[in-house]
Amino acid sequence: MTKNERRRLATGLLFISPWLVGFFALCVYPLVSSVYFSLCDYSVLSPPVFIGVRNYQNLWIDNVFWTSLYNTVFFAVFAIPLGLVVSLSLAVLLNFSIPGKGIFRTIFFLPSLVPMVCLAVLWQWMLNGELGLVNNAANPVLHVLNDMLGTAWSAPNWLQDARYAKWGIIFTGLWGVGNAVVIYLAGLQDVPRYLYESADIDGAGFWQKTIHITIPVISPVIYFNSIMGLIGTFQVFAVPFVMTNGGDGPERSLLFMATYLYENAFAYWNMGYACAIGVILFLVILALTWLATKLSEKHVYYAGK
Amino acid sequence: MTTNYHAATGRLLCLLCAVFCLASRALFAAGDKVTITYWEKWTGFEADAMRAVVDDFNASQDRIFVDFSSVSQIDRRLMLATAGGVPPDVAGIWAEQLPVYAENNALTPLDRMAAAEGITGSEYIPAFWNLCRHRGHLWALPSTPASIALVYNKKMFREAGLDPERPPRTIAELEEFNDRLLRRSESGKILTIGHLPEEPGWWSPMWGYWFGGSLWDGKSRITADSPENRAAFRWIQSYPDRFGADNLLAMHDGFSNFASSQNAFFTGRVAMVLQGVWVYNFIEKYAPADFEWGVAPFPTATAGDPNPTTIVECDILVIPHGAKHPQEAFEFIRYVNSRKPMEKLCLGQRKFSPLAECSEEFFAKHPNPFIRTFLELAKSPNARTVPRMATWTEYTAELKNAVGRVWAGRARAEEALAEAQSRQQKSLDRQLERWHRQENTLKREWDKP
Amino acid sequence: MKTAETHPVLRALIFVALALAAVAFLAPFAWMVSTSLKPLNETMSLPPKWIPSSVQWNNYPEAIAEMRYFWRYAGNSLFLCVMTVIGTVTSSALTAYGFSRIEWRGRDKWFLVLLATMMIPFPVIMVPVYGLFKDLGWIGTFKPLWVPSFFASAFNVFLLRQFFLTLPKDISEAARIDGCSEIQIFLRIILPLCRPALLVVALLQFLFTWNDFLGPLIFLTNQRDFTLALGLQSFQSQQGGTSWHLLMAASTLVILPVIVLFFFTQRSFTDGIATTGTKS
Repeated sequence: MTKNERRRLATGLLFISPWLVGFFALCVYPLVSSVYFSLCDYSVLSPPVFIGVRNYQNLWIDNVFWTSLYNTVFFAVFAIPLGLVVSLSLAVLLNFSIPGKGIFRTIFFLPSLVPMVCLAVLWQWMLNGELGLVNNAANPVLHVLNDMLGTAWSAPNWLQDARYAKWGIIFTGLWGVGNAVVIYLAGLQDVPRYLYESADIDGAGFWQKTIHITIPVISPVIYFNSIMGLIGTFQVFAVPFVMTNGGDGPERSLLFMATYLYENAFAYWNMGYACAIGVILFLVILALTWLATKLSEKHVYYAGK
Repeated sequence: MTTNYHAATGRLLCLLCAVFCLASRALFAAGDKVTITYWEKWTGFEADAMRAVVDDFNASQDRIFVDFSSVSQIDRRLMLATAGGVPPDVAGIWAEQLPVYAENNALTPLDRMAAAEGITGSEYIPAFWNLCRHRGHLWALPSTPASIALVYNKKMFREAGLDPERPPRTIAELEEFNDRLLRRSESGKILTIGHLPEEPGWWSPMWGYWFGGSLWDGKSRITADSPENRAAFRWIQSYPDRFGADNLLAMHDGFSNFASSQNAFFTGRVAMVLQGVWVYNFIEKYAPADFEWGVAPFPTATAGDPNPTTIVECDILVIPHGAKHPQEAFEFIRYVNSRKPMEKLCLGQRKFSPLAECSEEFFAKHPNPFIRTFLELAKSPNARTVPRMATWTEYTAELKNAVGRVWAGRARAEEALAEAQSRQQKSLDRQLERWHRQENTLKREWDKP
Repeated sequence: MKTAETHPVLRALIFVALALAAVAFLAPFAWMVSTSLKPLNETMSLPPKWIPSSVQWNNYPEAIAEMRYFWRYAGNSLFLCVMTVIGTVTSSALTAYGFSRIEWRGRDKWFLVLLATMMIPFPVIMVPVYGLFKDLGWIGTFKPLWVPSFFASAFNVFLLRQFFLTLPKDISEAARIDGCSEIQIFLRIILPLCRPALLVVALLQFLFTWNDFLGPLIFLTNQRDFTLALGLQSFQSQQGGTSWHLLMAASTLVILPVIVLFFFTQRSFTDGIATTGTKS
C-alpha cells in the first residue's frame, strides 16, 4: 500500500470507528455468545455450564417451541403478502391524479407512527368480542349476508378465540401499512412515463400495464420491503405481548418465537434455551432471505439491466 | 423549521434533563440510616394495610428506613431486577412461586437468620410454614395467608327453593343445585346458573383436588392424567356438553372482571363461586347492599371425609439474591411476623393470621363474618397447596390451557389431559436434569455462613 | 399519473375507494378518542355510541393520576429521545461519511458487512447483550437504552450514505487540494449540506425511541424510571380489562406528541421514508 492509501485507510477506519466498535461489541460478541450460550445451561444467576447440544435436543421434542414456530410462520405467510397487496393497491390508487391526494397519503401514513404499545391497547379494544368497533361494524354486514345466504356467520371473539387470534394481530398490522404505501408511491412515481406511453400506443389495458410494466419496474422496492417485512414479522413481540398481558393467548395461539424466547430468558431463567431459540430464529431468517434473494434474481428487474 | 432550531431545542432539553437528574439525586441524599427497598404487589387498601405496618416499623427505631413501593407485575419485575443484579432488599411475592425462585438461586436463604432469632415452625399454622420452605431450606416468611371455599348467594338459593343454610356437600349435589338454579331466556340463552367452573376459574388447574387427585407425586412424576384428575376434567367437560360451548363463551364474554359491581356473582347470574377469604372485600366494595352470602367448604366428589378440602395460599416476604442489606431486610420481615404487627396487617387486609396463636380481639374486630370458617379450612389436614415444583409456572399455564380447550369444546377431557401430561413430564424432566446438575454447587452456596 | 387521460368515471370510483379506505384508517383514531371521552358505563353499552352523552374531559387527568408517574414517564421518554437522537445523528453521520466520501481499501466489503447486520433481529442477541450490560452494572439504569445509539445503527448509516453519495466528489477534492483535513471537510462542507437528511435520521430515531418497548422492558427495573410506552403497558396490565376509557385517554396522550411532531415535519418524514425504500 502506498503512503497515501495507508493514510486514507486510517482516516476511513477512524470515521467508521463508532460503528466498528459497536459492531464488535454489540454484534459480533453477542452473536458468538448467543451460539455459545445456546450450548450451555445458563440461568443468569449462576455461571453457564456447557452441555453440548442438549438444548437443541430438548427444543426438538418441545411442542411449545414448534407451536411458536408455526405461529410465527403463519403470521409471516399471511401478513407479508396481505400487507403487500393492501399497500401496493393503495399506492396504485393514489398514483392517479385525484383531488386530495396529499390528504389521503397523510391519513394512510398516520397510523404507522403510532407507538406499538398504543397500537396494541387500541386494537385490543377494537377487537373486543362484544364491545369492539370491528365486530360492531362487521355484525350488521354478516346479518345481511346470513339472511341472503342462509348461513350463520358471526363475528368471532377475536383475541379470545384460538382460531382467530392471529388474524386479529394480522389486521392490526394492516393498519400500519402507511409506511409501505409511501415507499411504493415514491417508487411508482419513478416509473418512466415513456414505458406507459408506448404501452398505450400498443393498446395495452390497465391490468396489462400493471403486470408487465409497473410491477417489474418497482420489483426492487417490493423485494426490499418484503425482506424488511420478513425480518420484522419474525421478530413480532410487542403487540401480542401487550394484548395478552404478557401471556400466550388462547391455547398458545399468540405465542410467537420472540415471545417464547423472552419467556425462557426472563420468566423461566433458562437463558441457554432462549439463546438456542434465537439461533434457530436467525437461521430461519437467513434461509428465508436467501430464498427470497434467489427468487428475486429471477423476477426482480433493476433499471439498466 | 430549520435544523438549527431543532438542535438548539435539543440542547436545551438536554440541559434541563441533566439539571433535573442532578437535582433529584441531591434530594434523595442518604442520611445515617440504612434505607431498604421493599417491593410489594398490593395496591389499594391492601397496600395501605402494609404501609401502616411499615410506618410503625420506621417509627419504632431509627437505624432502618423501609422504602415501600407498590409494584405491578411484581413477579416479572423481580425476576428482571434480580437477574440484572439490582433487586430490592425485600419483595412480597406469592408462595406458589417460591420453588421457581429458590431453585434458580434467586433468593437468599433465611435459615441462619431465622435460627438466630429463634423462629421455628411451631409459631405458625403448619400449612403456611411449609409454604415457606423448599429443598430443605427456609426462603421466606409469611405476610398474609388465604384459603378458599364455596361462596354462595343465599337469596338466589331461597328463590330457587333451596335451603340457604344447606350448601351442597358433594359434586353430585352441586350439579343438582345447578339444575335448580338454572334459568334460561326464551331464546335459550342462560340467564342464571348455579355454578360455572370458569367463573372466576382462578384455580382451574386444581379442580382435581376436590376429586381426590393431585398434580404430581412430589418427586419426579407428573400425575395430570390420573383417574381423579380425569374425573375432574370430565366434570368440567359436562358443562359445554350440557349447555353448548358457544353459549358458555358468549355468556362469559358478557361477564365483567370479578373486581367490579358488574361481576356475575354480584349481579345474580351465578349463584356459587369458588373464592378466597378476600371475597369479603369484594362483597363490601362491589356487591349490592342487600347481598346475602354464605361460606362452606367446596364440595368434593365423594362424601364422608370429615376434613374439608381447600387450597391454602400465602403472600410471602423474601430477600432476593444479591440484596444489598439482607440483615436489615430480615429485621423488617421478623417485625412483620410478630404478633401485633401481623394481626394489624391481616386485619387491615381482612384475612386471618398465619400465626398459630391469635388473639380474641382479632376475631372481635374482624369484619368478615366467616373468618373463622376460612381459618378452620386452613388448619384442615386436607389443606392442599399448589405443587411445589420449579416448573409450576409452565405447568399451571399448560393446565389452564387444557381447561380452556375443554371448556371451549375444542378438546375432550382425556385428550387434553394426556397432552398436558406428556408435555409437562418432559418439562419436569428437563428441570430436574438442570437441578441435579446444579444441586451440589447451589447447596454449597446456600449452606455458606 | 399513470396515463395522460383517465376516464372521469374511473377517477370517481378511485376517489370513492380511497375515501372508504381513508374512513377505515381513521376510524380507530376516532374510536379511541370517542372512548376516551365516555363515562365508564357507556364504554360497556351496546350498541356502542360514537358521541358520548356527556363528554368526560376529566378522564384525561384521571388517567394521568392513575398512572401515577405519567409525567416522569414522559420526562424519561423525552430524555432518552434526546440522547439517542444526538447519539445516532453524530455517529451515523461520521460512519456514513467514512463509507462514502473517502476511498479506502476494503471499504465496500465492510459496507456489505454493515448491510448484513441489518438482518440480525434483536431477540437473537438480546440475552448476551443483557448479560453484557449486567456485568457492566447498567441494568436498571438508562444507559443500555442510549449508549448503543452512539455506535451508529446500520439503517441510519445506510440512509445517510445514500445522501452523501449524491453530493459531487469535486467539492471534497477541491477542499483536499486546499489542504483541509478530512474532519474539516466533514464538518464545514459536507454536513451543512445535509440538514434535510440529518433531520430525517433525527426524526426516525425520535420515533423509534418514543416507540421502543422491548428495550425498556428488560433493562429498566424501577417503576419510576419507565418510559411512556412501558408505563402505558404497566397501566394496562393493572386495569384488568375494565377501564377502557382511561386506557384510551392514556393512549391518546402517548400518541399525541408523535402526531404533533409529524405535522410540523411532514415533508421530512415522507421524503425520508420514501428514500429508504426506493434507493435501496
